[in-house]
Amino acid sequence: MSEPLPTPDTGTAPFTATSRRATAARFAMFWGAPPALWQAAFFLVPLGFLVAMTFWSVKSFRLTPDATLANWTFILNAGFFRNAYVYTFWLSALTAVIASVAAFPAAYTLAYKVSPATRRFMIFMLVVPFFTSYPVRIYSTQIFFSPQGIINTVLAPLGLGPLQVLNTPTGTVVGYLVLTLPLVVLLQTFALANVPRTLIEAAHNLGCGRFRTIGTVIIPSARIGLIVAGTFAFVLAFGDYVAPTYLGGSRPPTLSILIADQVKSGNNWPRASVVAVMMIVTLMVVMLVMIGLAYGRRKERP
Amino acid sequence: MAAPMIEIDRVAKQYGNHAAVADVSFTIDKGEFIALMGPSGCGKTTTLRMIAGLDQPTSGEIRLWGRRLNEDAPWERDAPLVWQSYALFPFLSVRKNVEFGLKQRRLPATERRKKADEWMERLGIAGLAERGVDQLSGGQRQRVALARALALEPEMLLLDEPLSALDPHLRVRMQSELVRLHRELGITFICVTHSHSEAFAMADRVVIMNEGRIQQIGAPREIHRRAANRFVAEFVGGNNIFTGTACVEADGSIALVGPVGTVHAPAPTEAGIVTGAAATLVVPADRIELAAESTGSGNEVAARVVTVEFVGSTVTVFLETEGGGELRAQRSLHEMENTPLAVGQPVVARWSPSQGFFLPA
Repeated sequence: MSEPLPTPDTGTAPFTATSRRATAARFAMFWGAPPALWQAAFFLVPLGFLVAMTFWSVKSFRLTPDATLANWTFILNAGFFRNAYVYTFWLSALTAVIASVAAFPAAYTLAYKVSPATRRFMIFMLVVPFFTSYPVRIYSTQIFFSPQGIINTVLAPLGLGPLQVLNTPTGTVVGYLVLTLPLVVLLQTFALANVPRTLIEAAHNLGCGRFRTIGTVIIPSARIGLIVAGTFAFVLAFGDYVAPTYLGGSRPPTLSILIADQVKSGNNWPRASVVAVMMIVTLMVVMLVMIGLAYGRRKERP
Repeated sequence: MAAPMIEIDRVAKQYGNHAAVADVSFTIDKGEFIALMGPSGCGKTTTLRMIAGLDQPTSGEIRLWGRRLNEDAPWERDAPLVWQSYALFPFLSVRKNVEFGLKQRRLPATERRKKADEWMERLGIAGLAERGVDQLSGGQRQRVALARALALEPEMLLLDEPLSALDPHLRVRMQSELVRLHRELGITFICVTHSHSEAFAMADRVVIMNEGRIQQIGAPREIHRRAANRFVAEFVGGNNIFTGTACVEADGSIALVGPVGTVHAPAPTEAGIVTGAAATLVVPADRIELAAESTGSGNEVAARVVTVEFVGSTVTVFLETEGGGELRAQRSLHEMENTPLAVGQPVVARWSPSQGFFLPA
């Protein structure tokens, strides 16, 4: 944040105004610097190191600085990487879509249909899951879906099941949803609550029923927030290690599991770094595309 | 006389303990231009929103051509509203905004386009059809909002403070344009405004509200010349309000003795005012003439000029009597140019007794 804070221009001598602006800029820098330094020390530097490491080599299990493209050619040509990439991307995209669709009715209700007091309480309840650490929540989900778990115990007398969720891609998606759904509901609720009421009323006033208004006015108006919510779900799922490991059973592996495998077997940090850099690049591209989608002018259909 | 188009029948709107609208009844005829006027919080906007179906009356009934309207959803009504903030859809072009209502009525695309073109042409925004609404000025947005509402060819148009967000010079232009549109279309206009000059300039009838209740309904001229109560007399502006003690004269007229001196006015037709009772007399400021010397006829009050205010072609002169009474006279600029007034100068304020009227006690 290098933007100086806006200062009230009192219309006194230009000298005073300039020096006041300079003071304000220093003030902003002073308070803005710590987060910037933090990001530099613990994000930019490691990121640079990560990229550099992709060109290193491993000689008899020892990491050696180098300038080789061998790691890149190996990983990018490896079938297991390509499969894992497509698989991870697909599951994350699926999670983003499922979370967005599943969250919408809840967010709609919270934004429009409940009293402010109820809304505050429900928003609090949506934050509660974040009180417990995510792996713990995944473990409890595991208990729910295990062969002798709660869900199958309930289903068995009804002649249904057993439901095989653990160690399947479905399990992974369930885990991703545990991670992302509360956040998506929260973000969508804020997005919908910010849609000007008069626009909704104007739609009603012009003959657009309640249900049609969702598609014609509410979703277009809340577009940015809705896309941001879905993108968050994708980003969180794409990098997640816990759900695919404990609910998906690591088969087939996601990119995050691939990274762990590369490190665990053979101490191959450079190859793991290549996978990590590929993930970061993917997320950046996805973010850029989604931002473009969110803020870009919508093409008018004739 | 034909049945009224809209009947507002003992309508009230309660928000918790607060009555936004309390027991309001009036009727609107087809083709009328009605202004709902009052200070903010008087219930005028709530009344308008209830006609549109955006708010539900707590009690009472709203009827359209004799049919109860209360339970109709807003989208089932034919009462397009022009919002103060215009409420245009920012994600749609001007054309798409104008077509919006027609699309909801499932008009075929070609017909929709034709109608939208017609109305954009009529409101002088045809050249802006493909623009986004965020690229428009306030005045242009207003026209889009009007076109969007009128494209539905409704039998009534609701306007919520249509002019208050416009620049002063645009306001006057839009005002006459609304009057012209109303005349040409022949549909009912119901317009909410807090400005009496707007209401009086545009409307056939004005409904003055305060604290959720109707204070007076009437043609602008009628309200101006015969305010029903003190609130109206003060709210419409341009009135002198004199208080004092009444004294019934031999000829049946009433003399008022107060800070302004002793002045006369005819007795009100309805309630009798008795000698010795407190009374309130209203004299429109534009009926007061200023003279240098007394002529001995009509009401005459000797006073001193306190301030002279120029607004457009009207001059308002604020005066103070020796007894401490305040009065003001409104004259045309043209007239004042010939007889300049200095602050502190003594003048005689004069008006015919028939120009004043007593408020009901």
